[in-house]
Amino acid sequence: MYRSSGFISFFLRRLTGLALVLYLGAHLWVIGSATQGPAVFDARLAAVQSPFFKLAEIALLAAVWYHAFDGVRLLLVNWFRVTSYRASLLYTALVMTVLLTVMGGLPILLFLLEG
Amino acid sequence: MRWFQLQRLSAVALVIFLTVHMVVLHYPPFHIDFSRVIERMAQPLWKAIDIAFLFFVLLHAVTGTYAVLTDWQGVARYRRILAGSAIGLGVAGFIYGAATILAFQPPM
Repeated sequence: MYRSSGFISFFLRRLTGLALVLYLGAHLWVIGSATQGPAVFDARLAAVQSPFFKLAEIALLAAVWYHAFDGVRLLLVNWFRVTSYRASLLYTALVMTVLLTVMGGLPILLFLLEG
Repeated sequence: MRWFQLQRLSAVALVIFLTVHMVVLHYPPFHIDFSRVIERMAQPLWKAIDIAFLFFVLLHAVTGTYAVLTDWQGVARYRRILAGSAIGLGVAGFIYGAATILAFQPPM
C-alpha cells in the first residue's frame, strides 16, 4: 500500500499542502507589514532574503509545482474518469515538478551567488 | 456542496490567480521593494484581484488543513471545534489580508 502511486500522491500532496499553509502564514506576516511604511516592510523583506531563505524558496517552488500538478491530475482523473491513466499522470506530474523546479531554481541560485 | 467540491473549485481559481501572481511579481527584474509593490497596489483593479486571490488561498488552505487533520482518527472527534477554529482563522486571515491590501495608497 505504501508504495502504490495512489499513496505516494496522497502523502506528497498533503505534505506539500501543510508546508504551503505554513508558508502562507509567514508570507502574510511579511506582506502585512506594508501598512507600517517602507522602512518596516523593506526590513522584514530583507530578513527573508538571506541565503537560507533563497534555498528554502527553491523547496517552496518544488512544493507549489508538485501540489499544483498533482491537483490538476486529480481533477482530470475525476472529471474525465480516466482512472487507467492515474499512475502515468502522477509520473508526469513528478517529472514536470523536477523540470520546472530546476528551471525556476537556477535563476534563484544565480541570484543568490551574485549577491 | 461537500468540502472537497469547494476544494476543487478553489483549486481551479488558484491555478489561474497564482500564475498571474508569479508572472507579475517574480519575473525579472527579481528585486522587489516597497516602491515596486506600491506602484501596482495603488490601482483599484489590482486590489480587487488580490482580495479575490486572498479569498481563494485562505479557503483552500483552511479547507485543506481541516481535511488533513480530520483524517487523523484521534483528531476526528474534535471535528466541530476544528471546523469552528478553521472558519475563525480563515475569517481573521481574510480581514487582516484585505485590510492590508486596502491600506495601500497611491504615492504622494
